[in-house]
Amino acid sequence: MAATTAREILGTRAIQAGFIAGGMALWYYATDVAGVSHLFLPKIGSVYRELSELIVKGAVLAPLRVTLTSVAISYFIAAVGGIGAGYLVARSAYLVRVLEPVFAGMFAIPITLFFPLFVLYFGIGAESKIAYGAAYAFFPIALNTIAGFGNVERRLIDSARSMGASDAQLFRRVLLPAAFPVILTGLRIGFFICFASVLGGETLLSRTGLGHQIAYAAELMESARMYAWIVLVIVISTSLNALVSRIETYQQRWQQ
Amino acid sequence: MSASLDAATAGRLARGAARRPLPPVFARLAILIALLALWEFYARMFGDPAFVRPPTEVVHALFGKILAEDTVRQAILLTFWELAVAFALAVAIALPVGLVVGATRFTHRSLFPVVLLLYAIPQVTVLPLFILIFGLGPAGKIAFGVSHGVFPIVVNVVAGLRNVNPLFVNSARSMGANRLQIVRRVVLPSVIGSFFAGLRLSMTMTLLGVLLAELYVSTAGIGYFTQLYSETFDPAPLFALITVLALMAIALNEAVRRAELRSSRWRG
Amino acid sequence: MANAAAVTIDRVSHDFGSAGDARHVKAIDNISLDVARGEFVALLGPSGCGKSTLLNIVGGLLQPTAGEVRVGDVVVRGPLPHDIAFVFQENTLFPWNTIVQNFHVALEFQGVPKREWNERSMRALQSVGMQGFAAHYPGQLSVGMKQRIQMARAICLETAILLMDEPFAALDEQTRMVLGEDLSVLLAKTGKTIVFVTHSLAEAVFLADRIVVTTARPARIKKILEVGEAHPRDRRFMTSDKFNALRNELYELLHDEIRQTVEMMRDVSRPG
Repeated sequence: MAATTAREILGTRAIQAGFIAGGMALWYYATDVAGVSHLFLPKIGSVYRELSELIVKGAVLAPLRVTLTSVAISYFIAAVGGIGAGYLVARSAYLVRVLEPVFAGMFAIPITLFFPLFVLYFGIGAESKIAYGAAYAFFPIALNTIAGFGNVERRLIDSARSMGASDAQLFRRVLLPAAFPVILTGLRIGFFICFASVLGGETLLSRTGLGHQIAYAAELMESARMYAWIVLVIVISTSLNALVSRIETYQQRWQQ
Repeated sequence: MSASLDAATAGRLARGAARRPLPPVFARLAILIALLALWEFYARMFGDPAFVRPPTEVVHALFGKILAEDTVRQAILLTFWELAVAFALAVAIALPVGLVVGATRFTHRSLFPVVLLLYAIPQVTVLPLFILIFGLGPAGKIAFGVSHGVFPIVVNVVAGLRNVNPLFVNSARSMGANRLQIVRRVVLPSVIGSFFAGLRLSMTMTLLGVLLAELYVSTAGIGYFTQLYSETFDPAPLFALITVLALMAIALNEAVRRAELRSSRWRG
Repeated sequence: MANAAAVTIDRVSHDFGSAGDARHVKAIDNISLDVARGEFVALLGPSGCGKSTLLNIVGGLLQPTAGEVRVGDVVVRGPLPHDIAFVFQENTLFPWNTIVQNFHVALEFQGVPKREWNERSMRALQSVGMQGFAAHYPGQLSVGMKQRIQMARAICLETAILLMDEPFAALDEQTRMVLGEDLSVLLAKTGKTIVFVTHSLAEAVFLADRIVVTTARPARIKKILEVGEAHPRDRRFMTSDKFNALRNELYELLHDEIRQTVEMMRDVSRPG
């Protein structure tokens, strides 16, 4: 893809902002004027009130902490496990041929299917979400690590060896830098899968966390509160998204 | 982590025995058999029956409880049906949307940012909302599946349209092709490749959406049974049920992959 | 009486971007040239000097910012599929169609009735000896074979004029040699008018009746050399003194232009 200019990015953001503004105008019209059922679509005012109440009363903090720590722990496990396993497999071309299709095939099955198993073994506390998130995010990270290390050009390795590079030097100076961008992509995908999985797990079956709050509000038919939590999660998710993009840009510039 | 150790051990065992690496297919089979054997042994010797049952019992539960029982079988079939409908709807919606968004620079510039915005929201956040609106029946599951499945197709079709080789267009123009002919003979065939690539991801995503919705609604459908077996600590039928669904997922994925291969025979 | 020249290039100039724009480039500066019917003219010049742009203008894929091109008496304002056929350097065979389907699509674009498609396609394939590959996909063929087929496709369109933009540039020396000889034979047989862009000196001398040497950007005509050797040409010509003399003269003419082009590129890449 052609490099996006600053102006293009600005244009994109403007359109997205315009879309959101338009959406909100439509929302206001639907609820306050056209009289759409408040069960499905509460008034913007009500949602805003609930949201402020949540923030002011600090009810946001506990679920936020649970979710974010769950994500952090499960992502750490997935990253270490994924890169470790990926590296070990990538060392042997044979192992790659045997195992890579297995990993790829397993990724095609939504790991969500196994969620009940995680609940069975870890209970309905945060542990099951952590395990579930870690398991799900493991695959893209491992697959990308295998691909990253596996696709280092033979010629680069030969060239370094001919100049007398040791194993450690080869790893640090050739393999790691060459594989890094692909691994990073895997880490990025893995992060969002981890975040969505933890949230999903909390929504499906939990007593804590942001996902649970959304599901609980839905159960009680308190639409305004549910929408408030949804808005909150979307804001957090978008911020994380932006943060990850920023980190990625810094990494790229540093690599240059 | 222990899985990879077992794999390495099994691999080494297999290699040692043959004195030459097994073809990967057999290696995988060997690993699978080794894991199953390990599982069987562990479950019978040490396993807490509330959490672990040997594979033989799982197979037994498969035919005894899952496939035999009407209610469970119907739940599975319902899920499959919901998936089929959701996938078909997703394609029917996403293909024209993708074609429109990617058609001109203007539509791309003005509409694609919206697509990206929606794609960035973790959809599981609005799962309770979907169920609230569409109810506890199949409609909600289908709707949630559709909302997952449309994005890969739209993104891929848009990319396919943007990446039509201008050289081909120029060549066609020089031979006298009019706009309609260029679209039919150059643009569309170019896009079909991308479309099929997006199709497979769409199938996985649609399945994800339907599954999430099913698991969320634990009053009926497979969500009911997974919760039932979990709560009564009856792992055998739980494993069996999950296995059936996993096989269904693999089969569907494979079907789409075959269709993709057949459409891109010319890639040589 | 109709104009004796098949193609007339009349004071053509072309600019990319407008004057004052940071990215303004004058590609062609006031070129005029008459190409006679049945003549093979080679456009020879340093890389990036505007030869391909000129070819695209002649073929109606691009409108010049000044001047005009005429085919016979008709001013070129767009593609003329019944008079002009292109052969590009890169592959323009549609990868999703088989070879013969590619020919059919080309004939469909040109507006030829369906009943003639099969016969014309197979005849064109036979003329380059590739009839055995009719049912293959382009992805299954080598670069040399694809170029041979692209030539056949251009021939199958039965146009009087052929425009070729460095068609053999992507090929190795040996394939080039073979295709060059075949093209020469084809020429003698069909009497088409050909304008051929190249930056290979040997190729220009071997194939052309006249060689138009262009300057570095912006392209102007530096000199026109007459080869004066009948087609089909063969290895005796390639190893003759006349061939070497012509090639040496081309080398002298081009050397400075090539140097200048390299200097220009270095200036562009220098920061600030």
